Amino acid sequence: MEQTDQLILDTAHRLFADQCDAETVNRAENCETPDRLWQAIFESGLTLAWVPEAAGGVGGSLALGFNLIRQAASFALPVPLADTLVANLLLAKSGLSVSAGCWAAMAFDGHEVPSLLQGEVSGVVEAASGAPGATVVVVPVLEKEVVRIATFAPSAIDMEHHESLAGEARSRIIFDSAIPSQLSAPVDGMTVDGLKQFCALVRACQIAGALEKITDLTVGYVRERHQFGRPLGKFQAIQHKIADIVGESALTGAAVEQAVRKLSAHPVPFSGDSDMLLPLATAKIVASEAAGRVTRNAHQAHGAMGFSFEYPLQQYSRRVWSWREEFGPEFYWSGRLGMAVASGISSHGSNHGDGGTWDLVSQ
Amino acid sequence: MESVRFSFPAPEIDESVDELRKEVRAFLKEEVRSGGFIPVTDCWCAGVDPDFSRKLGQKGWIGVTWPRQYGGRDLSALHRYAITEELLVAGAPVHAHWIADRQSGPLILAKGTEDMKRNILPQIAAGKCFIALGLSEPESGSDLASVRTRAARVEGGWEITGTKLWSSGARHCQYMTVLARTGERDPDKRHAGLTQFLVPLDSPGVTVRGIRDMSGVEHFNETHFESAFVPDDAVLGAVGEGWKQVTSELALERSGPERFLSTFIVLEKAMQHSAAGMNGHQAAVFGSILARIRALRAMSLGVAALLDQGHSPEIEAALVKDLGTRLEQDIIERLREFWPIQMKQGYGDEFQSLMSDSLLRQPSFTLRGGTNEVLRGIIARGVGLN
Repeated sequence: MEQTDQLILDTAHRLFADQCDAETVNRAENCETPDRLWQAIFESGLTLAWVPEAAGGVGGSLALGFNLIRQAASFALPVPLADTLVANLLLAKSGLSVSAGCWAAMAFDGHEVPSLLQGEVSGVVEAASGAPGATVVVVPVLEKEVVRIATFAPSAIDMEHHESLAGEARSRIIFDSAIPSQLSAPVDGMTVDGLKQFCALVRACQIAGALEKITDLTVGYVRERHQFGRPLGKFQAIQHKIADIVGESALTGAAVEQAVRKLSAHPVPFSGDSDMLLPLATAKIVASEAAGRVTRNAHQAHGAMGFSFEYPLQQYSRRVWSWREEFGPEFYWSGRLGMAVASGISSHGSNHGDGGTWDLVSQ
Repeated sequence: MESVRFSFPAPEIDESVDELRKEVRAFLKEEVRSGGFIPVTDCWCAGVDPDFSRKLGQKGWIGVTWPRQYGGRDLSALHRYAITEELLVAGAPVHAHWIADRQSGPLILAKGTEDMKRNILPQIAAGKCFIALGLSEPESGSDLASVRTRAARVEGGWEITGTKLWSSGARHCQYMTVLARTGERDPDKRHAGLTQFLVPLDSPGVTVRGIRDMSGVEHFNETHFESAFVPDDAVLGAVGEGWKQVTSELALERSGPERFLSTFIVLEKAMQHSAAGMNGHQAAVFGSILARIRALRAMSLGVAALLDQGHSPEIEAALVKDLGTRLEQDIIERLREFWPIQMKQGYGDEFQSLMSDSLLRQPSFTLRGGTNEVLRGIIARGVGLN
């Protein structure tokens, strides 16, 4: 990562630490908008991290954005920063205008996208993210196998707001021959599957960030909490749970970092290219598997405290439980990864060496 | 609150590493084709073939990171990493030289006398000299500080008395690095008074006896030292520094690819068998394993990169070993769903044999080089629990 990226990340970290404590997160779920956090994020320009400088953005690398997303998740940031980053990136990639100082909704959940016919958009997106409070709704649409990006004013479409397991906004949007306010030309090298893979990595990065926080919370708790006359962390049974938590969290970090590096080196990040499937699927599989293992151990180590609404652990467990399902859980991506390697082998028809499993997974 | 954060950077891999990898891969493919070796599971512990080790020595693929003057090639740790990965995934019989290449050679290079470096390192690099580890004892397994083997000062050297247990491959080795007590036991300073020696296994007073393991292989050994004399210059490193030397040696060997690829050969064969007609459920099982291997590899390479940058990623290395060795076991457990394991090795086809052999060898994965429980203690202490 470049030095300027690190500066932006450090600034973001301070901002999140100042403006987003555990209470802010809980209050946001009880419908108290975190105004100061919103304001601070808009003023910092973080929502434009992936927008090129020429389009008025920060011009940050893919790595910067993914790191921001990971960091935001480690604060359980109760704002649609990740969704807005992706939506703005799509706007910029497709040549549409991007607005500063507002949230953008991502009307894409990894399933079928609405279709475009004679300038009108029709279809249903079951779980658009970041829609309440957004000033623009960004929708990838398909016309004759070609992806374009459309935008809508929230008032112009029919939305039903739901909440994910974590209390994050997920909205059902029905497009019924809706006329977009902006419609891009076909976007070069963008496929629906490529978008899905990209968004799966976003969720994997969020899980990585949240798992880091769960690790910190749990290590902190077992150091402080005394039972039977000594800190919980002195008990070997607890130490081994901690080691498991640290391991799964670190492995998730390694998995998302390798995926971000591969994606960064790829000329067309939304192409859904077969080269990208392995690293991206790896990230989502490892992160989603870790989500279950880490939360189980963390809750066990926390006792009843971790189960209470007031204590912050639950904000992170509920998040990773919902993120692991979104854009494909581990089962989905494992199947695809296994199939991709199998077809790589069959098409080569050779034994160890080129076309072997090792050759494919070690790339 | 302190934060526990790890980063696993990508090492800088230049073209020469990729070229070397291709060369090794092509060589191994040809060896398998021509019957030079039959792939084995857990090959770095169960595949003993001194002739094959010599062949690798002739290729210049042992001790590659050591200086040329000592028989090495001055190559990077990543060159060695690529060679070892390719040997492991091919199931090549590399046990004879593995420990000397990975552990004892670097120890001699760092702590040995000039004579040791000149005489022994080139022999190791040639695939002709093998070294065993003399750490565990009948009363001393994971708790290494409790070793009882004693080295007493005598004129011109030391006399070693005691028993070393579980030394892999010792019967094929010319030397053993022996951890012995040279100072009095002090319950308050358990780690003091230990010294490492490089002992020729043909010394008078040394007897090596093979121990059959549950997989049927006699790769373990019990080595007796009966007042075995070694000269002063057999001391490896400094007198009294044995504990420090051994623990840093063990820390170094925790994160290599042999900690997650020991059963890869079985997975490779299983994929080859099922690739053509793979169903969705099988694909999901394979995919989940492959993802974890990819992630562990990123982690292990990250540790290599951190070492290269001059860091001491001790927790990260322990994590690779804890997660990786359990994965090696899980691979066999999960493949059982498609290939039940019932018969002893040698019955059924080659693949069934590999599965049986893996199952019988897997208990050792999470024990050797320090049990996973010890590793988890290291990890927990590393994040601030004492």
